[in-house]
Order: sequence, then C-alpha cells, then structure tokens
Amino acid sequence: MSTQKWKVTFKVHRQKANNSPNYDEYKLEVDPEEYVLDAVERIWAFHDRSLTFAHACHHSTCGACGMRVNGVEKLTCITFIHEIAKNGSTIKIEPLRNFPVISDLVVDMSTLYSGMEMVGQRPIVPLSEEPATSDIKPVKAKDGDYIRLSDCIECGLCISACPVATTTSGYFGPAILAGARQASINGGAETLKLVDCADGVWRCHSAYECTEVCPSFVEPGKKIMQLRRAVLRSRIKSLFGSRN
Amino acid sequence: MIETKSIQKPDEAAGLWLLKVLLGVLIIIILTIHLIVNHFIGEGALLTWQDVVDYFANPWIVFMEITFLVVVVSHSLIGMRSIILDLNPSKGTMKIVDWVLSIIGVVSTVYGIWLALKIASFSV
Amino acid sequence: MTTYTNKPSPSNWLKWFDPRHRDTGTWAFILNRITALGLTFYLFLHLIILSQLAQGPDAYDSFLELAKTPIIVIGELLVIVAAIYHGLNGIRIGLTTFSETSNIQKTVFYFFILITVIGSLIFGIRMFTA
Repeated sequence: MSTQKWKVTFKVHRQKANNSPNYDEYKLEVDPEEYVLDAVERIWAFHDRSLTFAHACHHSTCGACGMRVNGVEKLTCITFIHEIAKNGSTIKIEPLRNFPVISDLVVDMSTLYSGMEMVGQRPIVPLSEEPATSDIKPVKAKDGDYIRLSDCIECGLCISACPVATTTSGYFGPAILAGARQASINGGAETLKLVDCADGVWRCHSAYECTEVCPSFVEPGKKIMQLRRAVLRSRIKSLFGSRN
Repeated sequence: MIETKSIQKPDEAAGLWLLKVLLGVLIIIILTIHLIVNHFIGEGALLTWQDVVDYFANPWIVFMEITFLVVVVSHSLIGMRSIILDLNPSKGTMKIVDWVLSIIGVVSTVYGIWLALKIASFSV
Repeated sequence: MTTYTNKPSPSNWLKWFDPRHRDTGTWAFILNRITALGLTFYLFLHLIILSQLAQGPDAYDSFLELAKTPIIVIGELLVIVAAIYHGLNGIRIGLTTFSETSNIQKTVFYFFILITVIGSLIFGIRMFTA
C-alpha cells in the first residue's frame, strides 16, 4: 500500500422510493491502491449511512458489487482507483443498467438468478467441461474427477452492457445464454430447445460488450456463438434422426 | 423478467436468421455481378434512358435484376423485423408488423418485376 | 419488492446508438444498424424513383440531370460506403457464428473498416473525377 493520498470526488447515484434519481457528491481522500468498493464503503461508513449498495466477498467471487464506474461496468472490489482516475478526478458511480433499481446502487437481479436456474447452469462443474483460464485449484470429487467452481459469478455486468438488454426484458441475455452453453456442453437437448428462439440465441447482434466487461473469463459472446452452432447441430441431427 | 412468452413462442427465429444470412451472402454475390456488368455498359454507367433499355434487352440481366430485387427486399425487411423485435413488441403488435412487412415485400416485388419487364418490353 | 427506473424499455432505443463508455463491438453494432436503416430507406426510395423509367426518355433523362448534382452524388457515395460496411460486418457476424473466431472479432472489425475506407476512396475518386 502506498502512502500517497489522492483527492477524489465521488458522484454517486442516489434514488429512494419513488423519488427521481439524483447524484450526491462526496469528496474523499483515497489511496490510489484502494478499490472503488473501499471508497463506496467509506462513503457509507463515514458520510451517509443511508447509502445502499451490495457487496459481500470483496474478492471477485460472489458477483455482488457490480456497478457502473464512469459509465463502464466494473466489479468494484477489484477495480483499483488508479485504474480509472487520477488525483483530483471525479468518479461517477451508478447502478448496473437494465435491471430495476431497488435503492441507490442496488438493482434487482432476480431475473438473472431465475434464468440461470431455468437453463440449468451449474455452479460446480467438471474441470473437463470448463478448462481453467486462470490459476485455479481444482478439487477432486467423490468419483475421482476434478471439479471446479464455474467461472460465471452471476454479477450481471454483461447484461448491463448489452445493447439488446437495454430495450427488451424478454431477451435471455449473455449471462443466461453462456450458462445455457455450460449446461448443454455435453448434450442437453432440452436446454438447446429452450434457447433456440427469437429471445434466445438469435437475438444477439454481436456487439460483444458482454465479453468486454466480464470480470471472470466467461466470454459470453463466444459462448452465444458456440450455443448457436450447438443448436443448429441439434436441429440437423433431429432432421436425420433423433435428438441426442 | 425473462417473460414466459419467450418460452411459449419459439418463433421461427433460427429459420429467419439463417435466411437473413443466406440472403446477405447472395446480395454480396449479385451486387458484385451487378457492379461489374454495369461497368461494361455505355461509358461505365447507365446514363440515359436508352442505355437502360438496351441493358434490359438482355434476358439474363432481367433475371439478375429481378433476383437482386427479391433478395434485397427480403433481407431488408427481415432486418427491419429484427430491429422491431429488439423493442419487445407484444404478440399482437408483432402479428401486425409481420403483416405490414409482408405486404410491403410483396408489393415491392410485384412492382419491381412489373417495372423490369416493362423496361425490357421497350426494346422488343 | 417495488423497483423503479433503469428497467429495459423500448424507449431506451436511443441508447443503441450511444457509443460512450463502450468498446469496438458496439461501434460495429451501431454502424450496422445505421447502415441497415439508411440502405433500407435508399432501397425503397430507389424503387420509387425508378418508376420514372417507365414514363419514357424525357422523364428519366431530365431526372438524371438532377442526379448529377453534388448532393446526390455524395448521397450515392454514402450508399456505397454503407453497403460496403454493412456487407463486411455481415461477414463478420457470419464468421463468428459459424466458426470459432469470436476471439478475433475486434481484429476482423478493424480489418473490415480498412477495406471500407479503401473501397470508399476508390469509388469516391471515380465518382468525382468521372
């Protein structure tokens, strides 16, 4: 931790009950090596106890602290202040897009969670089905195979960044489609049928913002394309025989 | 909410999407032919009414242009439909949209074919 | 639980065209949508104008005089640029859907922008020095 202190202004989105949203400003002295979430927490602790924000693990595993920082979706527990600001800057903090706001920086992500359940995304997967893109420690399951926690932490950044999700709540969205891909990677004709619709895999317009903002190596854009190919293969198979 | 309607109405989304892509590929091919063939007429452009009539005297040209018309109109309308779908219309609205787009498609195609054949007839 | 604002809504359609804070792929999406709308408008305009042809040489040739004015020539060039870009991004979409190339989608986009610029220059120079 450096001993340097920066003076940074935080413009935080506030919204309570039925009032229109507004921005409150807080001038903080921060260590540039701190995370944006640390600053938000300090605002809550020492400036305004009515500030509502979501956070839990503080190490990019739970997916709770997703917010828009200067307009870009970030997992605030792993976003260094020096990454997105300088001494004297203003940092704008807003809730994720495309989810209804409950209060201040907290959004209702229940559609994401229920969507994941609907497509059968598994929080724990065999290592063979989801190769590690980072340095992780797989664990041996009872049957001897290696298992790991799935990359997706259900933070919702991808849905916030998706242009299609901005205008329609019907679209499954990148997180859920990536989850469907994970669920159906070794078959899963039912899942494939579920996403083979206008609001599923065919709604994506290849903006790849989801992949850009994902903090957890999921690459949802790529997964959607893989899912499209799996859907087509399944359709062709069913044309010439039975679906697997 | 991932509204349950999206599970209830699978839509022939895959079919239309694939058709859009296929039509797109055809457009690229036919457009290239169209540009090359135009280049060999007159001074490299159809600059007078007579040029156009002479151009359409060739039945292969008529065939190519009519195919081009059908392919472009279809691709364009399927594309417009996609954009409208992004706005989360209700089932009822979408039925109307589908009707309107289909009518526009049929009318443009019939009109275009009529026009092509009419121009071709000027040189008979 | 009651929630407010920030929900997905068709009224957010203007946000489709806002590239701020977004990356390369969004540019591809925005340009694709704008060229799609522009080309569609041009298509139907073109079909209507061509009805002049059926009215004989006087109607058509006098219209062609109008077509030589700089504004129309610029308009035509824009149509060509739009068609080149839209076709190439279409290829990018087909490519990333049917093959495992999502990881190079940005590079593909930049390359196609280069081709669009080169193509536009070629057509532009030809059209303005004819």
